Amino acid sequence: MIPDLDRRDRLSLTWRDPPGWWGFLTTVDHKRIAARYIVTALLLLFLAGLLALDMRWQLSWAENDRMGPQLYNESFSLHGSTMLFLVSVPAMEAMALWLVPLMLGQRNMAFPRLGAFSYWLYLGGVLTLWVAHALDVTPDLGWFEYPPLSGPNYAPGHRADIWAQMITFTEVAALCASVNVAATILKMRPPGMTLARMPVFLWAMLVASLMTILSMPAIMLVTSMLIADRLVSTHFFAPAANGDVLLFQHLFWFFGHPEVYIIFIPATGFVSSIVETFARRRLFGHHVLVLAILAIGCLAFGLWVHHMFAVGLPRLGNDFYTAASMAIAVPAGLQIFCWIATMATGRTWLATPMLWVLGFVATFVLGGLSGVMTASAALDLQLTDSYFVVAHFHYVLVGGAMFPLFGAFCYWYPKATGRMMSERWGRVAFALIVGGFNLGFAPMHLLGLMGMPRRVYTYPAGMGWEGLNQIATLGSAIAVAGGLVFVANALLSYWRGAPAGADPWGASTLEWAGESPSPPWNLAYTPVVDSLTPLWDSPVLRVMDGVAIERREVIVTSVVDAAPLYRQKSAAPSIWPVVAALAVTAMFLGSIFTPWAIAAGALPIAAALTGWFWPQRGRATTGPLRVRS
Amino acid sequence: MAIGRGGATTAVLAALLLAACGREARDIGPSLGETPPRGGSDPRIPYYQDNVYQVAQGGRYFGWYGCVACHVEGAVGVRDLGDGRWQHGGGFDQVYAAIARRHGALNYAARIPAEPLWQLTAYVRDLPQHTPEKRRRLAIDQVGEPHGRSWSGPVR
Repeated sequence: MIPDLDRRDRLSLTWRDPPGWWGFLTTVDHKRIAARYIVTALLLLFLAGLLALDMRWQLSWAENDRMGPQLYNESFSLHGSTMLFLVSVPAMEAMALWLVPLMLGQRNMAFPRLGAFSYWLYLGGVLTLWVAHALDVTPDLGWFEYPPLSGPNYAPGHRADIWAQMITFTEVAALCASVNVAATILKMRPPGMTLARMPVFLWAMLVASLMTILSMPAIMLVTSMLIADRLVSTHFFAPAANGDVLLFQHLFWFFGHPEVYIIFIPATGFVSSIVETFARRRLFGHHVLVLAILAIGCLAFGLWVHHMFAVGLPRLGNDFYTAASMAIAVPAGLQIFCWIATMATGRTWLATPMLWVLGFVATFVLGGLSGVMTASAALDLQLTDSYFVVAHFHYVLVGGAMFPLFGAFCYWYPKATGRMMSERWGRVAFALIVGGFNLGFAPMHLLGLMGMPRRVYTYPAGMGWEGLNQIATLGSAIAVAGGLVFVANALLSYWRGAPAGADPWGASTLEWAGESPSPPWNLAYTPVVDSLTPLWDSPVLRVMDGVAIERREVIVTSVVDAAPLYRQKSAAPSIWPVVAALAVTAMFLGSIFTPWAIAAGALPIAAALTGWFWPQRGRATTGPLRVRS
Repeated sequence: MAIGRGGATTAVLAALLLAACGREARDIGPSLGETPPRGGSDPRIPYYQDNVYQVAQGGRYFGWYGCVACHVEGAVGVRDLGDGRWQHGGGFDQVYAAIARRHGALNYAARIPAEPLWQLTAYVRDLPQHTPEKRRRLAIDQVGEPHGRSWSGPVR
């Protein structure tokens, strides 16, 4: 339904941000916040990718002296920590922040200011790690810093503290984003979008958010315990004083394994959306896909110990976690078959986003198969800490999450910017990245089987590893070149791309109902949904009115049936999220140096939160808190 | 004015950068301390004294060479190394000489190579800044390391 100009003007007046810097700092527009998240994450992807290229250069020749052991340790620690904590997870959250309200036909997230707070805190984590790196206080113990190596005795100074606090930042940010996404999906679906009519993308984001909420506390707890060990001499990880170093590994991987699915499950949402649109038919086995996502979400919490086979477990423990790890191949395989069936039976159109899905299927299946190999405890004892593992997790993380993310970027780019990306350069970037990636990482399987350990800064001549390492370096360089083509294409298309229109791909879900780029208020009316693919099934989208346009208001519906319940005030732009994030940043950074920062830093945080939650409506006239005259 | 402030900020940042560099650096390469320090202003002293890694290495050798047998937590008099009072002077070269030459038959100058002596010196000169609970916590982590004669084997 096309809104008249008067309605547009009134909506724009209600939902606009203040102009200039003040608007930049105070905005609660989920699209602006998500754009910041994505730009920051892509910049870090580039920086950490350059680190990877540098390490590949170092390993191309035996006894190369481009790096010493310390610089190499810092490089892979910074690369891994950045890619896992500052790129993959935030990029997935950013896609949820951007797309969930659009796909629900809502004007904003459930907690707009929490979204802004989440970004500022994430930025605090980014700056903590990278400013420390500029000051040469780079974490140097890998992306999981096991004690006792990271304990007070063997990691003096503040390198390990920087790593641990960076995690605290990003996990608080992730929790804020996840609570926001889960509440939005559960309580703000448009009328008619029952759980059964919810697109797979929203299921994926919902499950990933719930997993984040359940798994992140474990890592925040464990990094806080590590900081306590280092700062105030507690004994959590000191075996000689009845502490337990394995406790760290268990708590870390209780988060760490769900985390890889927190990265992968949103990617399955992207793939489902793209496959449906470009196969031009409803997803084959929608219910199977949803159940598979739920199954992965549950199983993901029961197999963390496969990261610790080499630690030594009872036989039954080995058997159990081997079986659990292999079991996850079943729902993952079901998903792959559903997508392949959709593609095979639809009128599939190989535009760039669909190419990325094909690249994803091929690469991820290879990564999944090497995953089944490493899931076997007996084989894992041979493969662990070798380049085979490096090959495996790059195949699943890059192939399973980054390729779908790039596809999603191309797919939703017209919605975000109102412009089409170049198809020709999109294909060039796809060929370079997917080809370069496979050329770069396939040889690492062989290197691992030949015995090359991971995390070595060099190796002696005569091991027979040089040739394969040089191929790997060549492949990585090609993939990085492809990444530059991808970014250049995105940048140039922003100004020169063909205008996209509302629904350039002829897609089925609600985010394509409104204009591109989406205005701050998203859709002019609240859509009413009666099928899984509303834009395909009804010639004219049915809408309802009644949500205010002269003040910020959203509609809240019931959890299962999405029956309209009430109208809810939506928060206006505010400076308090930035102030609160600054106060939290001061406390987190201070607590690297002194425990008193936690007590002293709580006061500014309390002040900021008081300002944030200061009541904005008049006092009640009834009840125990009523105004008494 | 604006330029002055910018200059000051740059200077502060540069100072921070240099301080951070030296303090946190973890050099693994040819060592500087191949010979004893030449006087209290030997240019190699800051490299050891102002670096957390070198000081921590000294802390480990403090256990390995059995120093803790006498200079135990709670020792009194000259054996208390954490009180900041030095019998033979607190300069780096003086403490170095006291460790190397003033332990009678233990003859550390002959038994300990030069670089560990540099690190031990940096560690004991750093001790007045260590709280007792910090020293105990580090000792707990070092239980599995070879502790002179009192080592009881790896932690199980």
